[in-house]
Amino acid sequence: MIPKFDYHAPTTIDEAVELLNTLEDARVFAGGTDLFVLMRDRLVRPKNLIDLKQISELQQISFDERNGLRIGAAVTFAEILRSEVVKDRFRVLWDAASVLADPVLRNRATIGGNICNASPAADSAPALLVLDAVVEVAGERPREIPIGEFFTGVKRTALKPGEFVRAVRIPTPPPGSKGRYYKWGRTRGEDLAIVGVAIQVNGEKDVRVALSSVYKTPIRIGAVEKIFKEGGPVEEKIKRAVEAVRSNISPITDVRGSKEYRVHMAGVLTERGLRELLEVK
Amino acid sequence: MSKHRISLKVNGRLHELEVEANKTLLRLLREDLGLTGTKCACERGDCGLCTVWLDGKPVKSCLVLAVEADGHEITTIEGLARDGKLTPVQQKFVEHGAVQCGFCTPGMIMVAEAFLRENPNPTEEEVKEALGGVLCRCTGYRQIIDAVLDAAKEMRKAST
Repeated sequence: MIPKFDYHAPTTIDEAVELLNTLEDARVFAGGTDLFVLMRDRLVRPKNLIDLKQISELQQISFDERNGLRIGAAVTFAEILRSEVVKDRFRVLWDAASVLADPVLRNRATIGGNICNASPAADSAPALLVLDAVVEVAGERPREIPIGEFFTGVKRTALKPGEFVRAVRIPTPPPGSKGRYYKWGRTRGEDLAIVGVAIQVNGEKDVRVALSSVYKTPIRIGAVEKIFKEGGPVEEKIKRAVEAVRSNISPITDVRGSKEYRVHMAGVLTERGLRELLEVK
Repeated sequence: MSKHRISLKVNGRLHELEVEANKTLLRLLREDLGLTGTKCACERGDCGLCTVWLDGKPVKSCLVLAVEADGHEITTIEGLARDGKLTPVQQKFVEHGAVQCGFCTPGMIMVAEAFLRENPNPTEEEVKEALGGVLCRCTGYRQIIDAVLDAAKEMRKAST
């Protein structure tokens, strides 16, 4: 049983902001796939739930070359997977969506929920990190948070009370750039990542790597970018990048894998991905 | 706790009900409408046995509130057969013995039916991926996968 609460379904952003700022102990939700489980386990017990799905703006994906991609907070991963532009131009995010949870859950789970749940294992997060996404925040004072500043700890974000995520915006990657997300799990279907590695490459000088499940937050490894900006043989850079990834993460041991195994696999996947995207045998 | 008047279509029939905010779609179907074909197991979105269609798309009904289903169309395992005639997927589950204890069968069939409508010519890998959100505790996956692949063949034959 989910504990008792009052349900509200505003149809505009303003109405949602007002409800969130006036109701006692209120939480917003979109898909509910994380929140209802937390509530069922009595880990959170909000008195009021605000359903964001009736706000049509939050259900939309839009793209233009100049402004990039904008994904409403309540867009599901199934919808992201159906988007040709995401598949063609933001492949690393499409990849992440394709391995997040399972196909049935993806009909409900949303991008806003995935980042706000702020699990270190959130599959969409490393993709958003390497794509330089910006989080649009609704509240009494609307603002924007670069995704690199959004995750502040395990299940913690930079959102303040009274704020919620309205959309995620991603600048258009330069033509010719490529990205992939590599997820390592105990099974190929439905499981949280042991390690997830997102890589975005725009030529040999602009290489970005971010990971899930290896740190208290999803993490982008700045040291990798420095290595690739410098000159030198690519073989050498890949080797140094793998070392940089392994020395900048601090995973935990849990039921899915040991700390040592995660550190090892983070390097393996980073190397595998860099070789594929940089076309180095 | 707030109460809400909702109207929703279940297997083609319109229902008008009053529900409490915390009632899940799963419990509405089983407890209020008596549609116990949809199974209640983990109630945390892991096992997929409670899968029903919401506007034609499979969802885990333990993670959908009844109030969220207001104005929508729900299809459950009871709504698949027409005039006593099983769908090809149901028929092939019988033929392949893709049922051990039977508890995951409604969830498996709801996911497989929806999947084959989108992808009528799947590979075995694609079937496995599609069924990834439904767990068979008996681990009788081989027969289930065979049944879905065979049903796909049958459905392609029927449509040509």
